Amino acid sequence: MAYVLTETAAGYALLKASDKKIYKSSTLIQDLNSADKVVNQFKVAAFSKFSSAANALEEATAVIDGKVSNQLQKLLEEAKSDKKSTLIVSDTKLANAVNKLGLNFSVVSDAVTLDLYRAVREYLPELLPGLSDKDLSTMSLGLAHSIGRHKLKFSADKVDTMIVQAIALLDDLDKELNTYAMRSKEWYGWHFPELAKIVTDSVAYARIILTMGVRTNAQDTDLSEILPEEVEQQVKTAAEVSMGTEITDIDLENIKALAEQIVEFAAYREQLSNYLSSRMKAIAPNLTVLVGELVGARLIAHAGSLISLAKAPASTIQILGAEKALFRALKTKHDTPKYGLLYHASLVGQASGKNKGKIARVLAAKAAVSLRYDALSEDRDDSGDVGLDFRAKVESRLSTLEGRDLRTTTRLVREQKKVELTEAPAYNADADAVPESVKDEDSDDESDSEEDTVEKKRKRDESEEEEEEEEEKPKKHKKDKKDKKEKKEKKEKKEKKEKKEKKEKKEKKEKKDKKSKKQKK
Amino acid sequence: MAFTPGSRGGARGGRGGARGGFGGSRGGARGGARGGFGGGSRGGARGGFGGGRGAPRGGARGGAPRGGRGGARGGARGGAKVVIEPHRHAGVFIARGKEDLLVTKNIAPGDSVYGEKRISVEEPSKEEGVPPTKIEYRVWNPFRSKLAAGVMGGLDELFIAPGKKVLYLGAASGTSVSHVADVVGPEGVVYAVEFSHRPGRELIGMAKKRPNVIPIIEDARHPQKYRMLVGMVDVVFADVAQPDQARIIALNSHLFLKDQGGVVISIKANCIDSTVDAETVFAREVQKLREERIKPLEQLTLEPYERDHCIVVGRYMRSGL
Repeated sequence: MAYVLTETAAGYALLKASDKKIYKSSTLIQDLNSADKVVNQFKVAAFSKFSSAANALEEATAVIDGKVSNQLQKLLEEAKSDKKSTLIVSDTKLANAVNKLGLNFSVVSDAVTLDLYRAVREYLPELLPGLSDKDLSTMSLGLAHSIGRHKLKFSADKVDTMIVQAIALLDDLDKELNTYAMRSKEWYGWHFPELAKIVTDSVAYARIILTMGVRTNAQDTDLSEILPEEVEQQVKTAAEVSMGTEITDIDLENIKALAEQIVEFAAYREQLSNYLSSRMKAIAPNLTVLVGELVGARLIAHAGSLISLAKAPASTIQILGAEKALFRALKTKHDTPKYGLLYHASLVGQASGKNKGKIARVLAAKAAVSLRYDALSEDRDDSGDVGLDFRAKVESRLSTLEGRDLRTTTRLVREQKKVELTEAPAYNADADAVPESVKDEDSDDESDSEEDTVEKKRKRDESEEEEEEEEEKPKKHKKDKKDKKEKKEKKEKKEKKEKKEKKEKKEKKEKKDKKSKKQKK
Repeated sequence: MAFTPGSRGGARGGRGGARGGFGGSRGGARGGARGGFGGGSRGGARGGFGGGRGAPRGGARGGAPRGGRGGARGGARGGAKVVIEPHRHAGVFIARGKEDLLVTKNIAPGDSVYGEKRISVEEPSKEEGVPPTKIEYRVWNPFRSKLAAGVMGGLDELFIAPGKKVLYLGAASGTSVSHVADVVGPEGVVYAVEFSHRPGRELIGMAKKRPNVIPIIEDARHPQKYRMLVGMVDVVFADVAQPDQARIIALNSHLFLKDQGGVVISIKANCIDSTVDAETVFAREVQKLREERIKPLEQLTLEPYERDHCIVVGRYMRSGL
C-alpha cells in the first residue's frame, strides 16, 4: 500500500493510492492530469483536522521545522497496518523525522514525488470532501497571518537591531552635533570671534558661552572647570581686546539655548556610546576586542544582523562598506579595494602604507573566525579571550611587517594567561622571528595562499630544526650549509632592497624638502 | 521614448530571430492596444503620456523632493472630469483626465497603501431608481512598480487577470502586491512571499485589509516551508533581485505552478552580475529559465522607468519545452 501525506492549512490528510507503485511511474503527468483521474487514484485514508487557529499555528511551525508533532504521529500510528507500506512525504527533513519514529513505513521523499504532489495540490478540493477551494483559501489566509505575526513577534535578530539602530543614531548625532557646533561658533563669533581660535573643542566652547555669557563678564567668571589655566588666561585677555560686536540680552538668550543643546547632545552621545559598547561586549565580545566597538557595530549594521555577518566570508568582511569601489573595480577590471569599514580599525590604522592592505586582510580573516565564534558558539562567555588571542596574532604579524615592535598591552595579557593555563601554547611566538620569508613579498594584494605558504615555511623551518636535533646525519651539515647560504643570499637581497628603498625615500624627501623650501621662499 | 517600438525591438534583439514569426503578429495586436492609450484624438502627441506630464512638473513643482516619482497628482485632481477606460489587460484601467494614468480598481475602498492617489468615479447604475455607485481606483505608478512599468511598456501577455491565483515572490512592503490584488479581484488570490522582517511588517498590515492577499514571511529559496499555505497557482511573478533568482523561480514553479501557467520575472542586471553588460545577463537568465522548462515568450526593457531592468514573460511547460 502506498500512502501520501499531505499537509494542508486545514489539517493533515493521509491519502491512499490505489496504485502501490505510483511513485515509480514515469507517466505521472499524464496519469494525473484531470480531476477524475486523481480522485480515482487517491482516497482519503485519514484526515486529522486542526482544531483551532492556535493548534494550526503549532502544527504548521512543526512542519516548517521538519518535526513530527504529536498530532501527526497519532495520525500515522492509526494508519499503519501490519503489512509494510510506503509513505510518501514531500519534505525530506520531515521524511527523516518520520523514519525515526520507527513505524512500519518505508518513507519515500525525492524528486519523483514532485508531480504526484502537484496533482494532489491541484485537485485538493475534489479529494477532500467538505473542503471547497474557498474554505482552503480562508484557512490558509488565517494560518498565514498567524504564522507571519508569530514570526515577527519572535524575530531572532531583535538583539542586533538594537546595535544597528544605536550605531545609526550615533552617526546621526555626530553629524548633528557638528552642524550645531559650527552654527554656534558662527553665531557667537560675531560677539567674540577670537574664542573659536583659542578653544577648538565644541563642547567646551558651548560651556564657555553658558557660563560666561557676554564677553565682558570674562574677568569675573571662573572657567577653571572647563579649560586648563593657561587657556583660560588666554580667553580672558582676548575678551578684553576683542573686536566683536555687542549683542543684546535676547540675542544671548537664544545663543545660550543653542549652546545648551550642544552640551546636552554631547552628554547624550556619551551615554549612547557607552550603551553601544556594553551591548557589543555582550553580543560580540571577540569581534569587539579585535576591531573595536564602533567598527564592529558598523560591520553588523552593514550586514543587517550578527548572523548574516557571521555567514559572510573573510573576503567580504574585508571590503564591507567599499561596495561602490568594488563594483567599479570589477566592471573596469581594475584592482579591487583593500579595505572598507575595516580601515577604521585601530590595527589597520597602525599599519603604514601598503601594509595596510595586508593587515586588513589578516584582520578580516581573524574577524570572520571570531564572529562565527561569537554568533554560533554555544558555550561562549563574554570575556573575549579568543579575540584577544587573535589580536595578538595580528599584532605580531603587523610588527614583522613593519619591522618594529607594535605589540603592547595585549602581549602582557597573553603572557599572564599562559602562566595560568600552563597549556601547550597554540601559538609559537618564535616563528615570528623569521622575517625573511615574510619580507620578500611585496605585492599588496597577495592571496591567502601566499600567507599559507609563509606559514608552511615557518612550519618547515621548525620541523627541520627538530629533525636536526633528533637525528644526527651527515646530511645535516650539507643542509646547514645550504640553509646558511640561502639565508645569506636572502639577507643580501633584502639589504640591497632596503638600501634601494632608502635611497628612493631619501630622494623623495629631498625633493619634497626642496619643494617646501621653494614654497617658503 | 518608451513608446516607440524601436526601443523594444532593440531589447528583444538579444533573443535571436527564432521568434520572428510571431513578432509580426504581435505588432498588430500591440498597435490596437496602443490605440487605446495614445491614439485617436491625441494623435501625434503620442509622447503626450510622458511629455505632457513633464510640463506641469517642471513648472509648478520644480525641486519638489518627490519630483521623480510624480505623475499622480495632475490626474487625480481632475476629479469629475476623469474618465475610466479598461486597459487591454483585464483588471487594469486607464484614467483619462488631464493626463492619462494607469489605475486599478481598489479592492479596499478608502485605503491608500503607500500614499498613492485615489480616483473616485461614479458608475451609473443599470437599474432605474438606484443611485449611482462610487468606484474607487488607485493610481499605479510605473516608476514605483516594475509590473506597472511592464504594462506601460506594452507587455503582450500579463497572465495576471481577474480570478487568477498569483504567487508573488519578493513582495517587499506590498505596494505592488496591493495592485496585483486589485487586478485579480475578490475571486483571485495573491500569495505574497517576503523574507525580510522589516518590510514583512508592512506587508502583513496591507494584507489585513485585503482578504485576497496571503502574506508569507519566508525565504523563497525554501518553498517547502510554505507548502501548507500555497495551492496551485496560475502565475508566478518574481521580483527578487538575487543572483540565483532563476533557481528560486524554478523551485517555486516546479512546486506550485500549474502546467502551462505563466511566469513573469523582473530582472535587474546589476543584481545578478555587474561585470558584464545588461543584455548578456538577460540572455543568460533566459537560457537558465529554458533549462527549467520555462518557455520564454517575450522580453521587454523597462526603460525609461528603470535602468538595466527587464521583464521576461514565459510559460511553464511541465512536460518539457
